[in-house]
Amino acid sequence: MIARTLCVFASLAVSLAAPVAAAQDDENVLDNVVVRNRLYEPGGKLEVSFGVGLPLQTHLTAHYVFNAGVAYNLFDTFAVEARAGYAASRHTGLARSISESFLNREDKRVTDELEDLWQMNLHGVAGVRWAPIYGKLSLLSDLPAHFQAYVWAGGGLASFKRNSVIQCTQVVNRELGICDNRTSVDDRGSATQNFWAHESRVAPVVSAAVGFRFFILDTHGVRLELRDWVFRDNYRVNLVRDAWEEGQATGEPARSPGLTHLVQFDLGYTFSF
Amino acid sequence: MRPFLSLALLVATATQAAPRVPAPAFALAQVQQVPAPGAETSVPPPSTPPQSLPEAPVGPASRPEPLVPTEATEASAPPAGGRPNAAPAQGTDEVPASDPSRVDDTAPVPAPTVETDSAPSTTGMAGQEAPPVSDDAPVLASDLGSDAPRTTDAQQQRLVNGAPLYNPNVSVHIVQKKRFADAGRHELTVYPATVQVNGKYTHHVGTAAHYTYHLQENFALQVMGQYNWHSNESAFNLELIDKVREQAQAASSLLLVWGAHAGVEVTPLYGKFAFLNNSLAQFSVVLSGGAGIGSTRHLIRPAVTNDVDGESFRVPARFGDTGSKFMGSVGGGFRLQFGESYALRVEVRDLIYTARVDRVDGCNLADFEALEAARSTNQDFASLNLSGSCRYEKFDGVDPKTKKNYREDIILGRDLVVEPSSDVLNNVSFYAGFSVLF
Repeated sequence: MIARTLCVFASLAVSLAAPVAAAQDDENVLDNVVVRNRLYEPGGKLEVSFGVGLPLQTHLTAHYVFNAGVAYNLFDTFAVEARAGYAASRHTGLARSISESFLNREDKRVTDELEDLWQMNLHGVAGVRWAPIYGKLSLLSDLPAHFQAYVWAGGGLASFKRNSVIQCTQVVNRELGICDNRTSVDDRGSATQNFWAHESRVAPVVSAAVGFRFFILDTHGVRLELRDWVFRDNYRVNLVRDAWEEGQATGEPARSPGLTHLVQFDLGYTFSF
Repeated sequence: MRPFLSLALLVATATQAAPRVPAPAFALAQVQQVPAPGAETSVPPPSTPPQSLPEAPVGPASRPEPLVPTEATEASAPPAGGRPNAAPAQGTDEVPASDPSRVDDTAPVPAPTVETDSAPSTTGMAGQEAPPVSDDAPVLASDLGSDAPRTTDAQQQRLVNGAPLYNPNVSVHIVQKKRFADAGRHELTVYPATVQVNGKYTHHVGTAAHYTYHLQENFALQVMGQYNWHSNESAFNLELIDKVREQAQAASSLLLVWGAHAGVEVTPLYGKFAFLNNSLAQFSVVLSGGAGIGSTRHLIRPAVTNDVDGESFRVPARFGDTGSKFMGSVGGGFRLQFGESYALRVEVRDLIYTARVDRVDGCNLADFEALEAARSTNQDFASLNLSGSCRYEKFDGVDPKTKKNYREDIILGRDLVVEPSSDVLNNVSFYAGFSVLF
C-alpha cells in the first residue's frame, strides 16, 4: 500500500496525464476520451480580443493595461496571437511619500536610485497560446460552462518612462517636499511641470500568462488570466545629492539591475469569427 | 435567440414533466449524491430534417455543429456491463415529443435499449399515465438475459437529441455525474510549499497541512496548521531602509511565524477537463473560511557583520516576539481528484490578522527606556523595575560565537514601540499540495 502510494505521488509530480490514465483504469465507467466531443472547437478560427489588466501588487508604480489582440487558432489547442495596447501608469502614494520626505533628509547625501520605477506605456507583443486543457464546469448544478485553460508566452517591444523619486533637479521647497511648479503648496494638482529627473526608453519586453477562457454561445468568450510583463530594469547608483540638485549627471548605471515584473490580473473578452 | 428559446422550453417542459416522470427509486438514491444534470442538452439544436428512427452509432465522428447533442455522445456508448446510473432529473432535458426537429441526425445514436415484457417495480411508473410515445423511440430489442434494469417504459426509451437520457441502463452524463463522492470521507492534505504572493514589506514561505472532513458532498469541516520556516522583511523594505532611510511601520511589517485555524469548506462548483484530449480529470472549485490564532514576530536587526579585534563575524538577523494574534482565513482554489484516494490542491488563501506592536519580547516602551538607561551606566538589568512580561535577558549578554553584544539591540527594539502602530495585515499565499482521501 505504501509503495503504491509513493508511486502514485511520484506520478502526480511528473505529469497530469499518467495518473489520470491510471485512475481511469480503475474507474471504467467513462471513455478514455471523455471530453473528446468538444462543444467548442476554436481550431482554424480567427479571433479578436480586448482586455483590461489590473495590478495585483503595487510597490512604487501602478499599471492599468488596456489591450487589443488578434489571434489565429492553428489547432484547437494552439494559437498564435499578437497584442498591443497602452498601460496607464502612475506613481503610488508610497512613492510620492518617499519623494517628499527624501528632499529634506540630510543624512543620505550619496545613494542609489530605487529599483522597479520604470513605467510601461505603449507596448506590443506576439506570442503563442497553448491550451491543453478543455473542460466543463457545472455552475450551480444546472448550467455547464465550457472552458479552456492555457498558457501564453511571447515577447515584443514597449516604451517606458521613469520619473525619479530621489533626484530633484530644482528644489522648490525642501521642508514641504515640493519639486514642481505648483501654484499652491497644498495643491499638487496645480503643477504643470515637475523637476524630478526623468528618462524614457524603448526596450524589449517578455510576457507570460496562465488563464482560462470560458466559451459563451458560439463566438463569444470571457478570458481570465494572470499575466506577467517582464523587462530589464535600469537605474543609476552612487548618486551625489549636490550634483543632481545642480542639474548635473551623477552616478553610474547599476551593473546588475535585474528584471522588473508587472503582474496583472487580466479580464478580457474574445470574439471568434 | 437560441438561449431564450431554450430557456422557454426548459421552463415549459419542467412544469409538464415533473408530475409524470418520476425518477426510479434506485436513481433517486444516487441523485441525492449527484447533482441534477445540467441544462446543456436543453439548448435546442438547429433545425434539421425530421428523422423517424435513429441509426446505430457510428463512432465519434468529426465534430458536428456546435450543438448540445455532441455532449451526449461522450457517454452514449458505455462499456459493456456498465452499471445503471441515475436518471436525469425531471424535465431539464425533455423536449416536446411531437417536435421531430429535436432529433439530431448529426449525433451518433446509441443502440436500442433493452426491452422486457414487464415493467420493473423500480421504475416507479406503476399507476401513472404513460406519456405519449415519441416518434424518436428506439426500436425495441429482445435481451431477456440481461441483468440490467428493464426499460419498458416509453419515457425511458425516448431519445432526446439522439441520446437516451431517460434510460437507466445507459450512462449519459455530461458534467452531472461526479465520479467520486466526497460525503462522509476524510481528507488529509499537505502543502509542502506555501509562498506569499502579496508581500510588499514581508515575505513568507512555509509548509501547511490540513484535515478535512466532508460532512456533505459540498460542505466540509476543516482544521489547518501552517508554519512559515522563512519569514522576513521583503527585499523592497530593506531597499527602502538602505537607500532612502524609510521603512514600513512596525505593524505593517509584522511577520507570521505559525498559524492554526479551523473553519469550513464549500464546493460550489465542480467539473471535468481533458488534458490533450486523452486524459480526464475531475476538479472542484473550493472556497474556505475559518478563524484561529497566529504567532507573530518582527525584525529587530537584519543580518550584519560584526568586526571584533580585526575578526569578522556574520551575525544572523534578530527577531523579537510580538505575541499571538487573532487570525481569520479566507481562500479558494481547485481540487483535482485522481482516482478515489488522491487529489491535488492549488489554492490561494488570505490570512488576515490584526497587528498592533506595542511590545517586543514582552517589553514595552517604558521597559526599553529603563533598559537603555541601564545600558549606558552598565547597570545589571535584573535590578530594574520592569514589567512582568519583559524578557530582558534577550537584550543582555554577548553571543559567544559572533561576539555580538545584545545590549546594542535595545535601541532597535525601542524604535519599534516608540510609536505604537496598528494595522490589519493580509497575508495572501499560494498553496500547492496533495491530498489523501480515506
